[in-house]
Amino acid sequence: MNSLVRALTSSVGKKFVMGITGLLLCGFLVIHLAGNLLLYVGAEQYNHYAHSMHSQEWLVNIAEVGLLALFAAHLFLAIRLTTENRAARQQRYELKKSKKDDPTTDLHADSWMFISGAVVLAFLLVHLADFRFELRDLDDVAYKTTTASGEIIDKEPFDKAVALLKNPISRWVYLIGSVLLAFHLSHGFASAFQSLGMSHPKYNGLIRVAGIVFAFVVGIGFASFVVWAYYLE
Amino acid sequence: MSDVLNLTLKIWRQANSEDRGGFQTYQLSGISTHMSFLEMLDVLNEQLIANGEEPVHFDHDCREGICGTCSLMINGQAHGPDRETTTCQLHMRRFNDGDTIVIEPWRARAFPVIRDLVVDRSAFDRIVSAGGYVSVNTGNAPDANSLPVPQQDQEKAMDAAACIGCGACVAACKNASAMLFVSAKVSQFAVLPQGKPERDRRVLRMVAQMDEENFGSCTNTYECEAACPAAISVSNIARLNREYLRASLTSDA
Repeated sequence: MNSLVRALTSSVGKKFVMGITGLLLCGFLVIHLAGNLLLYVGAEQYNHYAHSMHSQEWLVNIAEVGLLALFAAHLFLAIRLTTENRAARQQRYELKKSKKDDPTTDLHADSWMFISGAVVLAFLLVHLADFRFELRDLDDVAYKTTTASGEIIDKEPFDKAVALLKNPISRWVYLIGSVLLAFHLSHGFASAFQSLGMSHPKYNGLIRVAGIVFAFVVGIGFASFVVWAYYLE
Repeated sequence: MSDVLNLTLKIWRQANSEDRGGFQTYQLSGISTHMSFLEMLDVLNEQLIANGEEPVHFDHDCREGICGTCSLMINGQAHGPDRETTTCQLHMRRFNDGDTIVIEPWRARAFPVIRDLVVDRSAFDRIVSAGGYVSVNTGNAPDANSLPVPQQDQEKAMDAAACIGCGACVAACKNASAMLFVSAKVSQFAVLPQGKPERDRRVLRMVAQMDEENFGSCTNTYECEAACPAAISVSNIARLNREYLRASLTSDA
């Protein structure tokens, strides 16, 4: 037990947890995106998916607790590591230039992980307020609808999603959040493998390319729902 | 092209570890492009001594790129603009007439400035003392093939052993992390049979010492690899991560 605590509190161990929570959250992104893509299949299929998922109450609870734990660990370590890393430099250089000559690193996603992560967190909080806690009951974002008989009932998941995606605040937050998420993943995905000790000349190129492709797919995938809702009648 | 340079040098001066320090600007003329960077600083120091001023302190020893004593952040790059080159092997032909050159010490909490451009790198020595060795006396060179080592493993060990411990990895890293150095010192033994008996204890102790010295963590930006004069690969860092995980989960320590 002691050795486990020692391992997890070491610099290498902290990066290991960072990598594994990051990759597990990538897994969540895949499932979330796959579910959302049902919006394109049709309202009926999307509603059926949403209703059947939420009818498994205990499963949803377990998933929510699990995701919360992953986010909490990833977030706590991000703050911890960033603070420690800044302190390790102590005094900044007057002038600092890279010696890398790899053109794909021009954007320096690796130097902006804390900032891009913070923007994604802000997006996530708005997103949870919108969908999970239904706190955004503004005039244009209604969670309820009135039936022909005058009864007030919950909106169907598809209608709720479209209403929220059409909201001007949510639209921009989701759009910027998706782009920054892609930016975050463009370094994070491949970096996690290195932190977990997975490096081999046969696969390193593949992992790097897979990380970029994954970032694009996730970023464009989630951003597309906002654009789709905007043009939806 | 003229082979004589007139330069403006912006050099970090700091009287001792307590002093706040600051930049001072010096004009230097008639520098031959055939000089090494350190010879250029020698010329500056002779000029300063002749004027009764304190010369600029900087670390140097072999001046042939193998001892790892020289350091210097030159225009924001560890060991200057050339890849796989130490400051002592950098030549003035890489600069142009009229250039301003900014020279700073390695900056890390674990490498406190002693004076001017000289930093205390004994944190590296303490990390090696913690486990970067083989305890048994391995004696003379054994008979060929009495201890079979695959050629690829031997190459990996030799590539890692090329580390000269200069600290450029720490200087170039945005987190002042020593992971490339520690990973080289762990890897050079971890892949060889002679290093196997102590591999768990070695990696656990060296990482613990590294953390104690207040180096940062690795963010996988690979600036260290680009700055390394000995071309140590970041694949060693992945090996260090693996070794550490394996030792943490399976060793008795």
